[in-house]
Amino acid sequence: MTYLQFLAILPFIILAAAAIVVILLIAFKQSHTVIQVTGFIMMCGVVFAMWYVRDTLPRQVPPLLVVDGLAALFTGLIIFSVLVVGLLSYIYFEEREENPKEYYILLFLATLGSAVLTISRHFISLFIGLELLSVSLYALIAYLRNRNNAVEAGVKYLVLAALSSAFLLFGMALIYMETGSMEFSAIARAIDASGMSILFVMGIGLILVAIGFKLALVPFHLWAADVYQGAPAPVTAFIATVSKIGVFAVLIRFADAIHLQQNVLAVTIITIMAIACMLVGNILALMQQNVKRLLAYSSIAHFGYLLVAFLSGNAGVGAAVFYLVAYSITLLSAFGIITLLSTARRDADDLSGYRGLFWRSPLMAAIFTVALLSLAGIPLTAGFPAKFFILTTGVQQHRWLLVMVLVLTSVIGLFYYLRVISTLFASPPLTPVKERTLHPFFYVATYASLVVLMCLLGWLGVYPGFVVENVRAFLSF
Amino acid sequence: MVITRYHPVHALLYLAVSFFASSMVFLSLGAPFVAALEIIVYAGAIIVLFIFVVMMLNLGNETARQEREWLKPKVWVMPAVLVLLLLIEMIILLFSNDTEPMQIAVVEPRKLALSLYGEYIIAVELTGFLLMAGIVGAAHIGKHKKEELHRFLQNGQGDQQKTKRTRKTKAITNEQTALHE
Repeated sequence: MTYLQFLAILPFIILAAAAIVVILLIAFKQSHTVIQVTGFIMMCGVVFAMWYVRDTLPRQVPPLLVVDGLAALFTGLIIFSVLVVGLLSYIYFEEREENPKEYYILLFLATLGSAVLTISRHFISLFIGLELLSVSLYALIAYLRNRNNAVEAGVKYLVLAALSSAFLLFGMALIYMETGSMEFSAIARAIDASGMSILFVMGIGLILVAIGFKLALVPFHLWAADVYQGAPAPVTAFIATVSKIGVFAVLIRFADAIHLQQNVLAVTIITIMAIACMLVGNILALMQQNVKRLLAYSSIAHFGYLLVAFLSGNAGVGAAVFYLVAYSITLLSAFGIITLLSTARRDADDLSGYRGLFWRSPLMAAIFTVALLSLAGIPLTAGFPAKFFILTTGVQQHRWLLVMVLVLTSVIGLFYYLRVISTLFASPPLTPVKERTLHPFFYVATYASLVVLMCLLGWLGVYPGFVVENVRAFLSF
Repeated sequence: MVITRYHPVHALLYLAVSFFASSMVFLSLGAPFVAALEIIVYAGAIIVLFIFVVMMLNLGNETARQEREWLKPKVWVMPAVLVLLLLIEMIILLFSNDTEPMQIAVVEPRKLALSLYGEYIIAVELTGFLLMAGIVGAAHIGKHKKEELHRFLQNGQGDQQKTKRTRKTKAITNEQTALHE
């Protein structure tokens, strides 16, 4: 490994080191606060390392990894999400769990897995990254032992993720049998030379099944609602953002390498999946009374929208990245509010608990409203330009059916987002004020970060040009 | 024998025997390295791990009875049919003579080690992290069960220990009463 290659993977090494450092801190019996602050600093270190090495990109690290603009973008997004999730976790776990420290090890390991996914160009690194992500997630989902829901969700995720890993491995084995290689570029060369055989297509299909499980695409979405509901709120935010960003990144890279979007069969299947995602996600969310389940169904719908951009191939990558940026900021602020409202016994997931939130806490209600409006894609929030870019790419590629479904389902989606917002402004019932036991600094920090997120949403909505330019600059690496 | 025994320890011993047997098969096929790996990895590590789990979970006659209840024909007929299908397939393949002999390339341990610790070193290290995630997660969830039992006992018997745990449960019960009011 040369010096430049080492430099290129430096951010990922720091990320891996963060998990080790947390273990050592636990071994030396440091407090939760120390671990939290150290983790925060390490994550900032990853971002700085990314910034420091950006001139050396793109760099191949054969045979497993490649660090390029796409990877840098997605990793940056992942680290940003983890920073926010970590901040939310402090309050959440300090209040409910006598043993919140191992949480950070698992959190950083899952992040490492997701980051490895974004830089993998080989089936081995893809599989190890995915397993690292899922194995950490099993434990993270079931982290709160007292809740039956959490354990149930953990077991569900365990069984389904193990099943999808089996599909993935089988698909990889079939492709390896046909092409004799596990490297994306070598696979592409092999199919250019000899065309796609039936076994190869089956392999791709099996891999798509596994990725569909991870992204909760219809018809592999059945775990999503239960896991979102059962997992602790920060972990749900993590699943909804970090794990899906990583898997989506590797999907883009793989599809780009083998030109998946030029294969008629694959395009048909993905189109059907996208339409099913948009319809099923939005319709299931319509009458949902549980906010976490509602967000789960809405995330299914959002990944349906993302598939529209994905189908456009290279032209859609910029739109997809921008959509993911807007989507993760939005979801992080929504889950931030859920975390802040949760009590020690259970998460604030019942819609009736949000009744009249505006009159109790205007700031929280404002943040939540902006987040929901952004999810719905109302102008002046980040969701609007994001959806607009996706529509543009869809129209440019003449995918009229997809575009029509997207617009229609967005209207359906508007209904349930507005329903939640109207609940926020309804007259409040008398509820006991939540007791606060922690140092006020952490509340101030959390509130401040949520306000920053809200401002980001507004800024992206009004003036998306800056981010779009930067995304384009990174992608042209 | 492994799956028909009701007592887990007996089943595990039979499992060890079957591992040794399959490693002998590898040895007779001319692959001493794989045979050694089979014994070291499976028969050694996994069996030790299994026995640890069995001992820690403290299974006794109770589980044997439960196993007996689970092992009904309804449960094992479907897998048995599938396995039978595989067996038939294999027999057909064995008796059809039109297959060409497979090209066997012997990979030396040295070559394997060099590629693992040279080219694929990052994969090996990431696998280490994967194991770490598994261990930390298992340790955390395993710790739960014991503590939960502990708490139920404390709830039943009143104030025996003034630990942090009891204070937390008290806080929770206080909150419950507050909610009821």
